[in-house]
Amino acid sequence: MHTNQLGRLAILALCMLAFMPGASADDVEMWPILKEQTFGDRPIHEEDGTVVLEAPQKVEDAAIVPLTVRIPPSVKGKLKSLTVFIDNNPDPKVATLTFGPAAGSGGERSFSTRVRVDNFSHARAILELDDGSLHMATKFLTAAGGCAAMQAKDPDADTAGMGKTIVRTFSPALESSPIWAGQVMIRHPNNNGMQLDINTAKFIPARYVREMTVERDGDLVFKLDATFSISTNPNFRFTFAKGEENNLNVSIVDTDGAVFEGRSERSGS
Amino acid sequence: MLHRIQELKPISKAGATNSGAASLAPSHADVVRAALAITVAAFLVSLPAQAAPMAVTEVAPGVYVHQGRYEVQSAENRGDISNASFVVGSEAVAVIDTSGSLALGAELREAILDVTDKPIRYVINTHMHPDHVLGNATFNRDDPTFVGHYKLARALGTRSEGYITANKQMLGEAAFEGSEIVLPTLLIKETTTLDLGDRTLILEPLETGHTDNDLIVTDTKTDTLFLGDLLFSGHIPTIDGSITGWLAVLDALQQRGAARVVPGHGPPSMAWPEALEPEQHYLATVATDVRQQITEGKTLSEATKTAGFSEEAAWKLFDQYHVRNVTAAFAELEWN
Repeated sequence: MHTNQLGRLAILALCMLAFMPGASADDVEMWPILKEQTFGDRPIHEEDGTVVLEAPQKVEDAAIVPLTVRIPPSVKGKLKSLTVFIDNNPDPKVATLTFGPAAGSGGERSFSTRVRVDNFSHARAILELDDGSLHMATKFLTAAGGCAAMQAKDPDADTAGMGKTIVRTFSPALESSPIWAGQVMIRHPNNNGMQLDINTAKFIPARYVREMTVERDGDLVFKLDATFSISTNPNFRFTFAKGEENNLNVSIVDTDGAVFEGRSERSGS
Repeated sequence: MLHRIQELKPISKAGATNSGAASLAPSHADVVRAALAITVAAFLVSLPAQAAPMAVTEVAPGVYVHQGRYEVQSAENRGDISNASFVVGSEAVAVIDTSGSLALGAELREAILDVTDKPIRYVINTHMHPDHVLGNATFNRDDPTFVGHYKLARALGTRSEGYITANKQMLGEAAFEGSEIVLPTLLIKETTTLDLGDRTLILEPLETGHTDNDLIVTDTKTDTLFLGDLLFSGHIPTIDGSITGWLAVLDALQQRGAARVVPGHGPPSMAWPEALEPEQHYLATVATDVRQQITEGKTLSEATKTAGFSEEAAWKLFDQYHVRNVTAAFAELEWN
């Protein structure tokens, strides 16, 4: 844990260097560093169809960029983990999901969220299968918002409603499908701590969702470790294995240690 | 009265003779001639580069508006993409938005000096966007009070770095030179009156709409209402606050009268409340379509492919801003 955080600091420093005058993000090739740090020398299969990453062709709002990771139905068996990177973000690791027994072992599994993109960058999804093999899909994002992209539109409204959590389930169109879909939304400004307020000459303190645990009927679907690359009011869509009740329990922890909990309404359909 | 005002056309750039200008308002031609004279004089005595006055239209007595282009900032347009106005009283002048660069602010200032020698006492910004505030610094030499919504300082304070970087990139170093963020010194939290001598301006801070720091201004003498970017015409509206808040603001404003309104993007003067109809229609269509997608359990990406596209033909810059608007609307409405 400790070394992980040190590593993250090092990356942060590197990225900040990249944004300094005289250097550009292109000068520092992030991926080899990220790869080494996260996966060591393990081989990664690139674009072999095991995992698919969807991103808009042209990013319109760099503060809310929808990313979807799909695992085609042809991929059978359990999943171990999924890690999403945006190479040139201040903290490139967007999120890591560690899957549990209720994540399912078939059907079309997917995970979607919305991210902030600080500069032109590759986005990557690296899926770890149960056999330990790693598979990567990559997309290039032509989005640049600078730090402005990190900004909430109505910070007072976001702060006022902070912690409100909505959890939904969507039953599949086909009764026989082994997979259900779920959604978690949480009102949270997800401040990244990088905005200097020139009125006060102080940085707005970082405060963002760092951990989320999703359970179905008491079994783990996944545990997610997140960074401030997730957009304001974090929003997640995902799949889970069909169970008895199909009730979701969600627990969220932010960097201040505040805990927010949510539970799905019983699906109406 | 209103039909006459709608016929007003802006004087073309750089003082070229405009057949419409003389017949509509002879005083404008004089203004342009004076501007030319000053510019030529400046060249003759070889002073450091002197700004040429920007073209302005007198939409009501003592109320002048420069119309920006319906474009995204570029080196070619130098950031001249939004409306900038000024109101002349018997004692002082108030500027309402300063355009998108220091140089454009200087051209606006020259246009003011062509009309009056009264001191520029107030520089008012209708909201935080760079195309409305980056000319502020030009007016530092007049030592005015910089005025804005009470949330403007925070909004600018935390975005300044991003705004500066992005606009330097879009305008290029030359056109951007010297532009900076100037924070308001008078923050408006409740309805406030400013006296310009023989006329007063009423300033009203609004709830979150186009942004979270929208300020509207009424010139009581001519009943002219400056709406900033709460009103777009021709140029597609851009949502950087709250779509439901904006629609609510429009509903409330629709109930009140005004002899004319000045949009943040659009013609220098428009009839009220007819002017708001296209924008209201756009925002309502986006809200309705997005709500439907949310109800159907669709995702944000799915919504950006369909919602509001029936409005495509009605707006300039649709390709540049519409999907962004749908994105903002979706992220807001899914909480309702």
